[in-house]
Amino acid sequence: MSHYLLQRAGQGLLVLWAAFTLSFVLLQVLPGDAVLIKFQNPDLGLSPAQIEEMRIAYGADSPLWQQYFHTLFAMLRGDFGYSVQAGVAVSELIASNLPDTLQLAVPAFALAVALAFVLAFVSRLPALRWLSNAIQSLPVLFISLPTFWLGIALIQLFSFQLRLIPVINPSPLQGLILPIITVAIPISAPLAQILLRSIDQVSAQPFVGVARAKGLSETGVLWRHVIGNALLPALNIAGLLLGELIAGALITETVFGRGGLGQLTQQAVNNQDIAVLQAVVMISALGFVLINLLVDLLMPWFDPRLKTVTGGAI
Amino acid sequence: MHIPFRLPLLTVLMMATSVHAWAVETPVKGGTLIYLEQQAHTNLYPPAGGFYPNGGILNQITDKLTWQNPKTLQVEPWIAESWTSNADKTEYTFKIRPGVTFSDGTPLDANAVAKNFDTYGLGNKAQRLPVSEVINNYDHSEVVDAQTVKFYFKKPSPGFLQGTATIGSGLVSLSTLQRNFDELGDARHIIGSGPFVVSDEKLGREVTLAKRKDYQWGPKNLTQQGPANLDGIKIIVTPEDSVRIGALLAGQAGFIRQVQAYDEKQATDQGFQIYAAPTRGVNDSLSFRPDNPLVADLRVRQALLHATNTKQIVDTLFSPNYPQATSVIARSAAGYTDLSDKLTFDPAKANQLLDDAGWKAGSDGIRAKEGQRLALTVYESLPQPQNKEVLQLVAQQWRQVGVALNVKAGDAGSRTLDNLDPLKTPLTVSEVGRADPDVVKSMFYPANRDALLQKGGSSDKVKSFRDDKLNDLLVSISAEVDAKKRLQLTGEAQRYLLDNAYVIPIFEEPQVFAGAPWLKGATFEAVGRPSFYGAWIAKQ
Repeated sequence: MSHYLLQRAGQGLLVLWAAFTLSFVLLQVLPGDAVLIKFQNPDLGLSPAQIEEMRIAYGADSPLWQQYFHTLFAMLRGDFGYSVQAGVAVSELIASNLPDTLQLAVPAFALAVALAFVLAFVSRLPALRWLSNAIQSLPVLFISLPTFWLGIALIQLFSFQLRLIPVINPSPLQGLILPIITVAIPISAPLAQILLRSIDQVSAQPFVGVARAKGLSETGVLWRHVIGNALLPALNIAGLLLGELIAGALITETVFGRGGLGQLTQQAVNNQDIAVLQAVVMISALGFVLINLLVDLLMPWFDPRLKTVTGGAI
Repeated sequence: MHIPFRLPLLTVLMMATSVHAWAVETPVKGGTLIYLEQQAHTNLYPPAGGFYPNGGILNQITDKLTWQNPKTLQVEPWIAESWTSNADKTEYTFKIRPGVTFSDGTPLDANAVAKNFDTYGLGNKAQRLPVSEVINNYDHSEVVDAQTVKFYFKKPSPGFLQGTATIGSGLVSLSTLQRNFDELGDARHIIGSGPFVVSDEKLGREVTLAKRKDYQWGPKNLTQQGPANLDGIKIIVTPEDSVRIGALLAGQAGFIRQVQAYDEKQATDQGFQIYAAPTRGVNDSLSFRPDNPLVADLRVRQALLHATNTKQIVDTLFSPNYPQATSVIARSAAGYTDLSDKLTFDPAKANQLLDDAGWKAGSDGIRAKEGQRLALTVYESLPQPQNKEVLQLVAQQWRQVGVALNVKAGDAGSRTLDNLDPLKTPLTVSEVGRADPDVVKSMFYPANRDALLQKGGSSDKVKSFRDDKLNDLLVSISAEVDAKKRLQLTGEAQRYLLDNAYVIPIFEEPQVFAGAPWLKGATFEAVGRPSFYGAWIAKQ
């Protein structure tokens, strides 16, 4: 098991390094740079010579390979550089925005999982079979709702019409309710669909027939035998939904005027604030690696067959 | 909801007309104003205060040497009690009001004022602080005594006095001036002497202002004196248009900036106040870059000017708060000359001019000459109201005379780079506010904003275009001592710009705000930045 863990961690590091290199290259080929964008502002009226001086002052003229290793080693030391646009250290920007993102993403993810389970479970309950079609079509509806529209609609209804939750100057808890729902609904949809299909597949397996033959009730079969076995594919997809979560958070943060990595990324993209973008890419990559590692570690717990494979000869 | 409010209000109104003393309501002290901004502020170095969100903050936290009365446009005392200048306008002497302090406790005296203008007038390379565009021909300062400062100019600088009243000339403490340019993105680093101070900031999201209890130096001609009425202001960045207006109408905010024209009616119908503050400068326009061969021919530029139906643009996209342009600068700007006869919509004339210039209709309906299509590119300008819609409508109008206009959004990098290259962008969107004739020079002079991209200006990609006659005219505006002659020169510059069809003025751009009915006393400086010094929250 520890060998397996080490191997997975090594792969994770490789992924991180690849993400760094790829993003570094891609960000360098973009036309213009943050120094230019900031100082070419007509409000400032600087001459080309003056702007060139600024660029040199920011080290924008040193060779690429030097910038690459400089940035890589600095990041290894935990130094993410300086945001040209905001005029503060990137680490400070991340430190002030990451908690907001986590506060939104973690409960939203939990809510999405809960929603998916409720949907899948309820639609397969024998007592509610007459509703099953309607419930099954909900994920399709959820997935087709644009996050932007959903956010605005929730604000209009709950904040402006019913005046239940203020959207401006809310308490920390009030400020989270609507954004969490906005992020969770589109994420819950693919999860619910996978879970539904997986439940159907497992239900057709012989061992379920055996359980039924032993006289277990339909609900009992679903609860004790089917759900557990149907979890694997859903767990796998859950790891992948992280990307979706970040994209959804970006729009949600803009609509609700919240802080967070999404909003930070959008501003950094607008201003080509490369140091910030590089840091965001690394944090997202790290998030991906960690979640997938977690999923890999949880899998054998759900499916004992995987233990023998992973613990084996590799 | 509405009826119980209406009756007492009506009673108050009736009483107000019968008893004169009631007409002036007594301001209520206290309360925090929630102010929703569309965009986060950028660098708050005062000369960069032209950006709307920056001006909204700087106008509350910094004071200026002088105060420009937004009604009369006269320059009146503020931090300077009085001033004199020589006949040539090459020397100005200001007497500083005693007892003024910055919020860090340091004195705002002659020495501080001298250091401020030395920085704004000359820039500071070591700290990367750029020169202010409102100060022309600056040479040096001299501290005569603790309350007297004298400024010397290389050439006459008649616009300087008004320049001391602008957002870009907000006075900051010596500690602020010692910082590097990149540190001034943090509002907490801007130490001014204004009625409010920055007490907290969440970068990119929220700025909290608190009133200064010891503030005693507001402009002496204002009714408001002493500290501000409000305890504080919370400026919250709310990018989404519908959320800003919705929050205001639902009572979650007291004041919002950037109300779209289509939302105005909704607000006034519910008793909310729309404030359309004029920016009194160069109108929202399209400026040509004649270095691009496609628009180098005067006839092509004239044709496009006459192919543009500005009336249709303001009627379709805007409200009466956005008047159709009748010259290069706004009707309310100093030196305005009505040139609407040069700005006629005349597609027949446009077609004729394009035919004369040798552009023949091609197979796809777009005119072509020697195998080249008359297709132009322009980048959408994000700070201008509904700019994308405006440009798309212009594109439709130009299509009628066989000219293609490609409207691009693009990322900031491409936009910035391409806007410096006349071959890539034969035209650009331009607008700038300032209540002084110098504004025309600010927009078109190569060493300033250089909207036409001249050789030797902001771009090294320009091959040959340079109009020295225009430049001489612009310089003479900024250096003409005789006020009457200066306005006349300003008129000449407008005429010259339109005779050469260098610009297509579209509409006079206001800054549109909306406020709750209970918010009283919000005012606007001469180019539309809000001031909450005298503002107060009435009992609801």
